[in-house]
Amino acid sequence: MEKVKLTAKDYKTKIPIVWCPGCGDFGVLSAIHQAVADLQIPPEKLGVVSGIGCSSRIAGYINAYGFNAIHGRPLPIATGAKVANPELTMLVAGGDGDGYSIGTNHFVHTIRRNPDLTYIVMDNRIYGLTKGQVSPTTPTGDVTKTTPSGNPERPLNPLALALELGATYIAQGFSGNVKHLKELIKGGIQHKGFALINVLSPCVTFRGKQEYDYVRDHGVYLDDVGHDPSDWNAAHEVTQWMLTKNQVPLGVIYKVEGRKTLADEVAEVQEKARAKKIYKDVRELIEQFR
Amino acid sequence: MQQEVVLAIAGSGGDGVITAGDFITKSAARKGLFAFMLKSYGPQIRGGESSARIRVSAKPIYSQGDFVDVLAVFSWKDFKRFTDEIELRENAVVLYDESDKTPLEVVPIPPEKNARFIAVPFKKLASEELKVPLAKNMVLLGVLGELLNLPLDALKDAVMQKFGKKRPEAAAINIQAIDLGAEWVKQNLPEGIPYRLAAEGGNPKLVMTGNDALAFGAIHAGLNFFSGYPITPASPILEFLARELPRFGGAVIQTEDELAAVAMALGASWAGARAMTASSGPGLSLKQETIGLSAMAEIPLVVVNVQRAGPSTGIPSKTEQADLFQAIGGTNGDSPRVVLAPADVEDNFQVAVEAFYLAEKYQLPVIILSDQFLGERSETVDEEVLFARERKIARKLPSEEELGEEYARYKLTEDGVSPMAIPGMKGGQHYISGLEHTEKGWPSSSGTIHQVMSEKRARKLPLIAEESGFVRVYGDEDASFAVLAWGSTKGAVREAIEAAREKGMKVKAIVPQLLYPLPTKALDAALKGVERAVVVELSFGAQFYRYLRAFYDNLPKETYSYARAGGNPIQVQEVLKAIEAHYKKEVEA
Repeated sequence: MEKVKLTAKDYKTKIPIVWCPGCGDFGVLSAIHQAVADLQIPPEKLGVVSGIGCSSRIAGYINAYGFNAIHGRPLPIATGAKVANPELTMLVAGGDGDGYSIGTNHFVHTIRRNPDLTYIVMDNRIYGLTKGQVSPTTPTGDVTKTTPSGNPERPLNPLALALELGATYIAQGFSGNVKHLKELIKGGIQHKGFALINVLSPCVTFRGKQEYDYVRDHGVYLDDVGHDPSDWNAAHEVTQWMLTKNQVPLGVIYKVEGRKTLADEVAEVQEKARAKKIYKDVRELIEQFR
Repeated sequence: MQQEVVLAIAGSGGDGVITAGDFITKSAARKGLFAFMLKSYGPQIRGGESSARIRVSAKPIYSQGDFVDVLAVFSWKDFKRFTDEIELRENAVVLYDESDKTPLEVVPIPPEKNARFIAVPFKKLASEELKVPLAKNMVLLGVLGELLNLPLDALKDAVMQKFGKKRPEAAAINIQAIDLGAEWVKQNLPEGIPYRLAAEGGNPKLVMTGNDALAFGAIHAGLNFFSGYPITPASPILEFLARELPRFGGAVIQTEDELAAVAMALGASWAGARAMTASSGPGLSLKQETIGLSAMAEIPLVVVNVQRAGPSTGIPSKTEQADLFQAIGGTNGDSPRVVLAPADVEDNFQVAVEAFYLAEKYQLPVIILSDQFLGERSETVDEEVLFARERKIARKLPSEEELGEEYARYKLTEDGVSPMAIPGMKGGQHYISGLEHTEKGWPSSSGTIHQVMSEKRARKLPLIAEESGFVRVYGDEDASFAVLAWGSTKGAVREAIEAAREKGMKVKAIVPQLLYPLPTKALDAALKGVERAVVVELSFGAQFYRYLRAFYDNLPKETYSYARAGGNPIQVQEVLKAIEAHYKKEVEA
């Protein structure tokens, strides 16, 4: 029997979408549908774990095993799932509040563990679902409902943080360029290990349409400027562009292959433990209590 | 000859007090005697004071023993820390190192105990005869062995088992030290001591801590994923599993925090694993949000709470039973879950099995409420008893016909349990969340659907309450007076009702292993004919008493509470007093 080729349509679901018209997350959703179709990932082998926030609803809009979990915890949930069921292609999705505020601790330690997950952060630089409060990536000075006199704090730089922590695939995309974003997501899925794809995904309701203009005006495609993503120092410089040059880098910022993944480490631990002692039956554990 | 002896050893970190206690416990087990050992530490991380309290008996024992018959002290300064925990029996024997010249009039032992003090050259024998000062704990073992008729041969076997293969020289020195101690007693204490044990035991037994028993039970139940964060007194579960679970092909991850620990376990279970996490009270507080998700998304999850004295950091190294309320109701919303309570070391093994049985069958969170007293103590255990109760552990999966376009993860069923497709199953793709949802898992903010789904999730509870074997009854079946207890207080309660019966009272003890949902029918049966009862617990706020009052309609009208703060485990004498206080009234009436 000839295998029917899956198309982006096969990855859509019937669950009504709750996003506002013009929301950047529609672009991210299309890019994911196209990326998994391009890679012909069987829907039953696809897991999508998300947190809480507008963007986290995305888990319901992909024909997969979707798990819209709780605020800040999609990374450990997906890590556990991937260890338990290594055949799954695991996407993790969420927003800047979910990943870079309430979930930061997990962001840091997931990178350290390097599970084979593709983490797509829809960074809209605002809390949208709760209707317009300052987020960890809101630029300094911006007025929000909770910073009526302007945001006094410096935004977090997730790209630089991920790089410092030793992430081996770091990319930034723009929901206004689905074709480009799709390739970044495919690259993340194909990468062996943890992949971070930070997507500037504008919230038109609380940050206005000018958010699209900002990325269009300040975006620089790394492919166009000859950036070498295997060069850590160059990558580091790129992660600072928003601060140093008011430029938004788009593309693969850093990528190296070959680092051990969590699955490798789990297998290694099992092998070492068995080298010391092997049990034929659970009941043999009893010997140590005699 | 005595049927049993309770001894306590106090010293500082380097004195090898716990090692000595372990050897005594192990040798007793090998001889088929019953043993019970409780460790206690000062607050120092290393080198602080420590004590081991060991009860050895020819008959079954269920508690640590209220009074110490024989106390061994390396230095009085170290002993001071434990005066709160170690109460001597009248005429107790006190062995102390002769090098400590503290006048006996000022040592912290009340004169009315009429203790018999014996100075012993533990340190001198070890340093002068053996040139190994550290071996003084082994000299002590020899002294105790000879003095109390502990099985010296089994003691030496235990030493050989520990050091024989890897460190034969250490083994030889330790055995010499034991002989030295025994010989010293023969030479210097020819008249003997009143606490000689009738060392006739049955079949060899195992020695386990409650934490190890729980971890072992979980592996026996098919555990293949564990994530945890270190916390006293639950860390030994993480350590045991880190060592053993990978040998069975399982994975253990030490996470960045308690939140990740429970979330990872939930994720693993969602993806098909049999998963567990373990912590203590403060950790359970942090895990509540994910426990709620487990209840809402109907994903099996086993969470262990080795309780310690609280609130907040409380006393990390001491026991309490005051996490009942947070186990039953710590999550937002009406969140069905199961709360199980092991009551002794072998129960820790069995309850781990029960937890997976219920979690997988009913697709909900199961919280195991162990405690420090249960988790860290060592006890002799019968191998056969351990594997006596078998459970078929399985998750309800969808059939071929149920999969496909119309698959409904939360299909309304009579028992509230819906077939759960595991990621990887073709045609089982679906969406789940912590949001209220329809049968297909689609988010819904409809109050009507919320009512229907709340009913669906709650339908599991009465079925769980009727699962068999979750209420234990001890004592006189036809008694009109009962003691109600749960968890680790069971031991003292069981001995207290025996003491009460010896005094001519007719009493029984009722100990549920399933705390939530309450097994009301089994409780009704156990309480048949009971007119008065006392609820005994280590919770200052009397949580169990108040819980029974609120959740159980058939509690005898005259039900009293005996409750106090944890810290020190409950004693037989105090339970007996509580029984007498309320039993007497009945006689007068």
